[in-house]
Amino acid sequence: MLSTLQPPRSLTLLPFRRLHGSKTIASLASSSSPTLDASPASPPQSQILATRRSLLSGETTASEIAKSYLSRIRLTEPQLKCFLHVSENVLKDAQEIDERISRGEEVGPLAGVVIGVKDNICTEGMPSTAASRILEHYRPPFDATAVKKIKEMGGIVVGKTNMDEFGMGSTTEASAFQVTANPWDLTRVPGGSSGGSAAAVAARQCMVSLGSDTGGSVRQPASFCGVVGLKPTYGRVSRFGLMAYASSLDVIGCFGSTVADAGMLLHAVSGYDRFDSTSSKQDVPEFQSQFVSMDSFESKPLKGVRVGLIRETLEEGVDSGVRSATQEAASHLEALGCVLTEVSLPSFSLGLPAYYVIASSESSSNLSRYDGVRYGNQVMADELNKLYECSRGEGFGGEVKMRILMGTYALSAGYYDAYYKRAQQVRTLIRKDFKAALDQNDILISPAAPSAAYKIGEKKDDPLAMYAGDIMTVNVNLAGLPAIVLPCGLVEGGPSGLPVGLQMIGAAFDEEKLLKVGHIFEQTLKGSGFVPPMLPNVA
Amino acid sequence: MATRALLAAVSACPRRRIGIKSSTFSSSLQFQRQESRIIARSFSSYTNSSLSLPDISRLAETARISLTPAEIEECEPKIRQVIDWFGQLQQVDVNCVEPAIRAEMEGGNLREDAPQTFENRDSIRASIPSFDETYLKVPKVLNKE
Repeated sequence: MLSTLQPPRSLTLLPFRRLHGSKTIASLASSSSPTLDASPASPPQSQILATRRSLLSGETTASEIAKSYLSRIRLTEPQLKCFLHVSENVLKDAQEIDERISRGEEVGPLAGVVIGVKDNICTEGMPSTAASRILEHYRPPFDATAVKKIKEMGGIVVGKTNMDEFGMGSTTEASAFQVTANPWDLTRVPGGSSGGSAAAVAARQCMVSLGSDTGGSVRQPASFCGVVGLKPTYGRVSRFGLMAYASSLDVIGCFGSTVADAGMLLHAVSGYDRFDSTSSKQDVPEFQSQFVSMDSFESKPLKGVRVGLIRETLEEGVDSGVRSATQEAASHLEALGCVLTEVSLPSFSLGLPAYYVIASSESSSNLSRYDGVRYGNQVMADELNKLYECSRGEGFGGEVKMRILMGTYALSAGYYDAYYKRAQQVRTLIRKDFKAALDQNDILISPAAPSAAYKIGEKKDDPLAMYAGDIMTVNVNLAGLPAIVLPCGLVEGGPSGLPVGLQMIGAAFDEEKLLKVGHIFEQTLKGSGFVPPMLPNVA
Repeated sequence: MATRALLAAVSACPRRRIGIKSSTFSSSLQFQRQESRIIARSFSSYTNSSLSLPDISRLAETARISLTPAEIEECEPKIRQVIDWFGQLQQVDVNCVEPAIRAEMEGGNLREDAPQTFENRDSIRASIPSFDETYLKVPKVLNKE
């Protein structure tokens, strides 16, 4: 298998590296210093910038681009099942852009960009169900602010992506409607809860997509599917129109096949919104200036950037392949000029139970709105409480019911101090630990998940095993910090290896630094460009 | 694979070390492996005895969710297992630690609390399962309680 395996790109920097500690990839025995010149497979290119260039130069039209994406969706969707709904307006939207261009009018920065939107983000007149039966057929009367911004900038919403019901899950198996497959290996999960958004970008069914991240729901599927996932700082992006799960943790995040794409999408949706009082008035910097071309990199383009590797994230329970890919990524950063140190976050392992207490508690409160009265599916009954109970009983899936009940328990009179309050005190400890680590480092790094994608059904009936997979990501939500996940290597598994993601965590509102470091990291890795085997002809 | 070792990672919650310990890596690739602090524990040892086990039927009633007997049978052991696992938080020393309700952020972003007209009212109305003129229609509210 290994002979056909594209080597993890970071490996190219290091001599005699072993994959899984088993077989030597002899071809990699080359120089131990970073090589910044053009590699055999050129580094991944921004789809957003390429679209803009080709539209404005007249090389192609938005309609042609849209058609090619729709035909790829038709081709791959029967196997992948990334979308719960594909828009009927894609070609109409594309034609409008073409007409504007032919009239010589200005078009927005996302003109013609084909965008998937997670199904818990409201799209006017288009089904938005959060993959729940209780909202089956629901069409919201408004666009979420993030969607509104995308449309104003010319972006084309191609459809609504599958997810774990209301964001509660790590595999997308908890969707009420379908199970999404991982494009790297159809027998494996794409991760979750934004599994549809991640898999759709990996399979090039759309250029970029929106997801949401409450405890890792953008970053873990990005890792499993070999794409870039960006979780912004809490408050960076308006959540108006995002169906609330755990309000103290939820953020809207971005997927792309390159760091630049994820960053440009984030720029498009960021900023204060009067409809979301938790959105921040902090300036949104022009991230695009970070995405310089490789030709202008210096020999040590990240010279002096202080990187802290979180010790607790490489301990027992983490797959050896993931561990070595992370260590190799750390070495790659070092070779680019970063100063690497190991940091400890003593509160790290407390984050997981604290997260699940907080998320369950807040969900039990937030999901009380789904009662079958004002929208969604109603089960008729002769008495109001029965109507609530039956509508919710039939509308919610097993995992959602479980989390609501756990949250109800944790918030019960007499238990609040022992669970919810205590979890919030732990959140204070976690925040302090991150603050201390980020005072001494520009960014922190860790794996994005303890393993690569696992098999469909593998953890379905074991909630604690499933929750354990969130250990790398939940603390970042508790601290409200931004983080980016980008593919850094492959481990053995599936027909041609499984991607592994590196997580970079930054200080609050410093997405700029993450994007800069991420972009240079990505552009200087050699190799396949992380294209899943089912798409051999896609760049 | 993610293992239970991670779940039990808190162990006996060693005295918190505030601040960070950092050490510069050698670029020789191999990290000094700390002796793992992860200790496997059985899952029944966390729960504080003063907290009673959850009564699923009661919780379902409070949360207004009807559950079939089969559903109760299926989710009860899972919920108990997770709540038992939550119990490890009882062992953390949080004396004098302020709870954080969310990430730190600036205040003053509240808009004026004044009603505004939403233009797309018909669309909102279209989502309501049962509707009569300007009222939501529901079955009788009064019951024997």
